[in-house]
Amino acid sequence: MRNDKSLLRTNEKDIKAERAPEISEMATGTSGTYSPSQCLERKQQEQKRKTFQEVDWARSDGRNFHQCRPAFLRTGAASVASGSAYAEFGSTKVIVSVFGPRESKKAMMYSDVGRLNCHVSYTTFSTPIRGQGSDNKEYSSLLHKALEGAIRLKTFPKTTVDIFALVLESGGGDLPVIISCASLAIADAGIMMYDLVSAVSLSCIGKKLVIDPTSEEEAWQDGSLMITYMPSRNEVTQFTLTGEWSTPKINEAMELCLDACSKLADILRLCLKENALELAP
Amino acid sequence: MTPTEGLKPESGLAAEIEVEAYRLLFPLQYYERHLAESVRPDSRALGRARDTTIALGPVTSADGSALVKIGDTTMLAAIKLEVMTPCIGSPDEGSVAVDFQMPPICSPVVRPGRLAELAPVIAKQLSDVIMSSGMLNLKELSLISGKAAWMAYLDIYCLNADGSLFDAALLSATAAFSHLQIPLVSLNDDGKVITVSEELKIKAVEPINKENRKLTIAIVPFSLTCIVHGKYILADPTSEEESVMDTHVTVVLDSKERLVSLYKAGGAILLHASVVKDCIALARLRVEELSEILRESLSAMEVD
Repeated sequence: MRNDKSLLRTNEKDIKAERAPEISEMATGTSGTYSPSQCLERKQQEQKRKTFQEVDWARSDGRNFHQCRPAFLRTGAASVASGSAYAEFGSTKVIVSVFGPRESKKAMMYSDVGRLNCHVSYTTFSTPIRGQGSDNKEYSSLLHKALEGAIRLKTFPKTTVDIFALVLESGGGDLPVIISCASLAIADAGIMMYDLVSAVSLSCIGKKLVIDPTSEEEAWQDGSLMITYMPSRNEVTQFTLTGEWSTPKINEAMELCLDACSKLADILRLCLKENALELAP
Repeated sequence: MTPTEGLKPESGLAAEIEVEAYRLLFPLQYYERHLAESVRPDSRALGRARDTTIALGPVTSADGSALVKIGDTTMLAAIKLEVMTPCIGSPDEGSVAVDFQMPPICSPVVRPGRLAELAPVIAKQLSDVIMSSGMLNLKELSLISGKAAWMAYLDIYCLNADGSLFDAALLSATAAFSHLQIPLVSLNDDGKVITVSEELKIKAVEPINKENRKLTIAIVPFSLTCIVHGKYILADPTSEEESVMDTHVTVVLDSKERLVSLYKAGGAILLHASVVKDCIALARLRVEELSEILRESLSAMEVD
């Protein structure tokens, strides 16, 4: 299975670093400002590339290759929403609010199953260089696809459930964190689901499989794999693979991911239980 | 039939449901009955504001950030510094760009793709207050006279909208500026400004702004929003109270108790000067509270 998308992406990022001042000029219009950290010396980039190509390198935050970041989860972050959740995985911080089920827009046709409306947006300060978050417009539809299979749409016909995610800080592995946080928020809102959805991504750098990559590791990856999983039903709702992979490697990567997803789902469940205990008199 | 008559108190769940239904069906009367006892549904006194907390530095990818909660209203402000060429008229000054956004998570009325009506109003108010209050000295944002200066992009996001949005936004902006840490930079060979990182120190590059790492904030503006109904003045309204009574007054005082801005836009009630004076008196009390809270959180950061 060969997919050149990942190779293209790494090259894009190189070109971005070189042309960066012009891009920010376009973005800001007449004022043309640039961020001082954009003009990284060429030497530094070469250095980074070499580190990742070595046989034995240590991850910058001290984890081993098959260790995920510690997760901090909290429900009820936004009081105005039917349900909400806040998740912090390392330096990736995401807040998700769920509104609904509420009235569908008048223009929509009648539907005897419920509808899901997902929207993911980034704050301007979430990425090291201002404004790069708007590059991830496809996350809204990916989130929709991941959650569609898990929510029991028949329980709220004719109405819409709105799921809004805001990424406060992007530290790598954004989409899996958004998906896990969203399923926590949906559970907090009391909307019926078949099972909690947890997501984990994995990067292939050289010959190493690195789970739950940070944004630095993602920039130098040769391939990536993301699985969205419902552990109690043993069903995968979404599977995304980019880059060049051999079949035994995919099997190994999948096993790692599925194991991490089950553990993450346990943590999600624990968070919901603690919250319910807090609210109980 | 006046809804206030004929209500007999029952006990238990039935009474709770009745009170909630009354609150939704006849909100104005519900509030008036509370105001007659000089209390509000969340058992606050009329002139008291909600519990306020400030957390500095929640966002590590920004140069300065602050998270402010007034009751349930939550605001996240962050500042990112970029380099720009200063304009010819003021070669020694940097510049500040203020933006206030209400993403769809903050409130059930905001839809993605369509801007909230309130957002540009608050953005403009904030920008006016920050620039005119004398809080910032733009000369401190200058790097090389005439060639390079800092452009501070201040972005404020409302994470939860529960009334008094302007107060929380202004407090988060001042907290973010107090927390701002200007990165060490130097000039590289192409004449562009780059950050001095650990690896580059080997090349013995001299940072050009070693001394000036934090902004001096001499005067801090604080604000208080009040709503007026009949003869009652309620300080720091929740969004429910704001929707029921529509006359808002926002008073901005600085730490020396001088008036920076007074804003009263429309509303069904026309105010006498005495009411305005009462609002300013309430704001004065609030300024003391807020400056104490800001001072505490800044000193907590210094210990770290």
